Amino acid sequence: MFAAPETYPIDLATFHSEISMPYKLTPGRAAGTFLAEIKHRRIVGSRFASGRIVAPAQDFSAIDGEEFASFVEAPHTGVLTGFTRVDGQAIGLICLDGCDNAFPHKLLADLDALHVGMRVAAQWDADEGVQTSILAIKGFAPAPDAPMGQVSPLEVTEAPIEVIPYSMTLEYEHAYGPYYGRMFDEIRDHGRVMGVRTSGGDDALLPPRETDDITHKRTGTWKACADTGTIRACSIINMAFLGQTREPPYVYAEIVLDGASTRLVHMIEIDDIETAKLTIKPGTRVRAIWTKGERKGSLSDIECFEVID
Amino acid sequence: MGHHVGIVGVGQTHHSRRRTDVSQAGLVREAVNRALADAKLTMADIDTVVVASGPVLFAAVNHPEKWVVDAIGAQGKSVVRVTSGGGAGFAGALSGYYQVAGGYSQRTLVVAYDKLSEGQLQYSISTLYDPFWGREFAVGIMGFSAAYWRARMDVLGHTEEAAAMVAAKNRKNAIANPYAHIKKEVSVEDVLNSKELCWPIKLLDVPPISDGAAAIVLANEKVAAQSTDRPAWIQGIAYCCEADNAAERSLLLSEPLALASKHVYRAAGITNPRRQFDVVEVQEPYSCFELSYYESLGLCPPGQAAELIASGATQLDGDIPVNPSGGCMGANPIGAVGLIRLIEAATQVMGRNESHQIKDAKLALVQSGGGWANLRGCAVLSA
Repeated sequence: MFAAPETYPIDLATFHSEISMPYKLTPGRAAGTFLAEIKHRRIVGSRFASGRIVAPAQDFSAIDGEEFASFVEAPHTGVLTGFTRVDGQAIGLICLDGCDNAFPHKLLADLDALHVGMRVAAQWDADEGVQTSILAIKGFAPAPDAPMGQVSPLEVTEAPIEVIPYSMTLEYEHAYGPYYGRMFDEIRDHGRVMGVRTSGGDDALLPPRETDDITHKRTGTWKACADTGTIRACSIINMAFLGQTREPPYVYAEIVLDGASTRLVHMIEIDDIETAKLTIKPGTRVRAIWTKGERKGSLSDIECFEVID
Repeated sequence: MGHHVGIVGVGQTHHSRRRTDVSQAGLVREAVNRALADAKLTMADIDTVVVASGPVLFAAVNHPEKWVVDAIGAQGKSVVRVTSGGGAGFAGALSGYYQVAGGYSQRTLVVAYDKLSEGQLQYSISTLYDPFWGREFAVGIMGFSAAYWRARMDVLGHTEEAAAMVAAKNRKNAIANPYAHIKKEVSVEDVLNSKELCWPIKLLDVPPISDGAAAIVLANEKVAAQSTDRPAWIQGIAYCCEADNAAERSLLLSEPLALASKHVYRAAGITNPRRQFDVVEVQEPYSCFELSYYESLGLCPPGQAAELIASGATQLDGDIPVNPSGGCMGANPIGAVGLIRLIEAATQVMGRNESHQIKDAKLALVQSGGGWANLRGCAVLSA
């Protein structure tokens, strides 16, 4: 009989990290034209050779991948085909009159005033910040008496918007697990870097882990490594890039601490590149410089490494 | 394996620094249309589709295969997405190979792409570092690559001059590549004198950042002839990994590539790669990598890569030309590159390479890789 292992979750502190980046997205011709025309309060759609009409405009048919044949102007009225509420905001699927698809947008009414099949009409937002966005349509409001709209041909359009600035910030709460948890507790509380021994030897694996990568056996006991070590590999960083935490130039170094068998990634401050090329290389001995401030339990409690003269 | 698998159609976009006229899906469609036309097929003839691209962070679209399927008319087909960093395109081809070899599909379309102009390259790549252990010091993969090149200099003699020769060779070869977007001849001195980015890596050791897509059609032996009388047959293909930060791992030689090549050479009957191969295509994210691949692929013994490049043997007119297409130095849409290398090698053995056809090429070697150094693969293609 299968017996469930007797484990249970324990709620522990997590490690917070954040990834935040700007983007330059490319909408392509159809969506780009839709976005260029929206400031004229015009909803651009695409007509396919099959006669199918899709709004907002799309380059390719979701039915068969066919490329669109021409642009059309879709009416501002349509039918609600489904709805829900997210964070207090009603969101609906709207099929504009004469079109063959439904697309999501905000509904300017609460749930009890909505029903599937009801007539809706676009309400526009004059805010300058949204005039190259689908949010130039503030949302769709119930319009029970709105007359049936017509799709009309659109011969001349503005040039498509080619690039849309965008940004994304992702926040994470990483779980340390028992091995990382103890390692960072030791760094915070005692200012020492601890690993676990390999399954058959005395050298420590850093970061510590449950299984030895070479033998696939359980790792051994805990061991404190020195805060001195030897550079295994290094490069001199002389370029700036987004997300960088130090000002260049500096040395990116993979260091094997004394008593350890695996690398720790850190940095070494330098004054000038030409000297660093000669004095910092594989085999160079280095020492950790610990922070003078409060230790938080992370690798940045070591500010950097310095060459041992 | 049950079936022989051939590459019967290929297509790639004209790669560029920035394609603002098409969306990601539109870019993919260009390559797919070209590959289908080349294979004299339509989407209706395709059984299964593999979509390969780099990390989601490169272009901020989750599940991009959903967009791609709509744009290429592959609705209703079996689709998987494969991602493996720089090796994404190659891993995608491997996934397609399994489907055809195993009999699950007769024809599989593999498409790979990246639109690197849209995001933040180094920052995105830095997230392959452990968030607890080193990410805050990461310099994409460039800091790491430069660091181990520096270590190989001392032990294996991979000098700055040797890598500069690789950069000069590949950049020159790229001039004739109709799909490349960096076409400028540079001298070894130019490379050595270019700006230090992550020394020893300098500006001209580094490929461009590109938008681009590539696609191939794989077919079994029963249906291949409907597309071409001269497929590029895959005689062996493998993609291996090794432990990331294990004890005993020096990173001086590319161990996973040595493992992959051992496996592939046995399958393809290769005992002397230097003599047997007519042409080689490798994915060199930095010039120094090509030197390391010479050794792990067995084109020369460890420690002799600098001599091999200096001898001229890997030049177009050498006995073992490497990257007649110009490799990554002409264009580097990362997720597509593994597939582009396969295409460049396939068209060599099909006798219709558009950059530099190597005369009578019958047997080609392809290398690709992802992760930092721990995912590496290779394939053998024959006429």
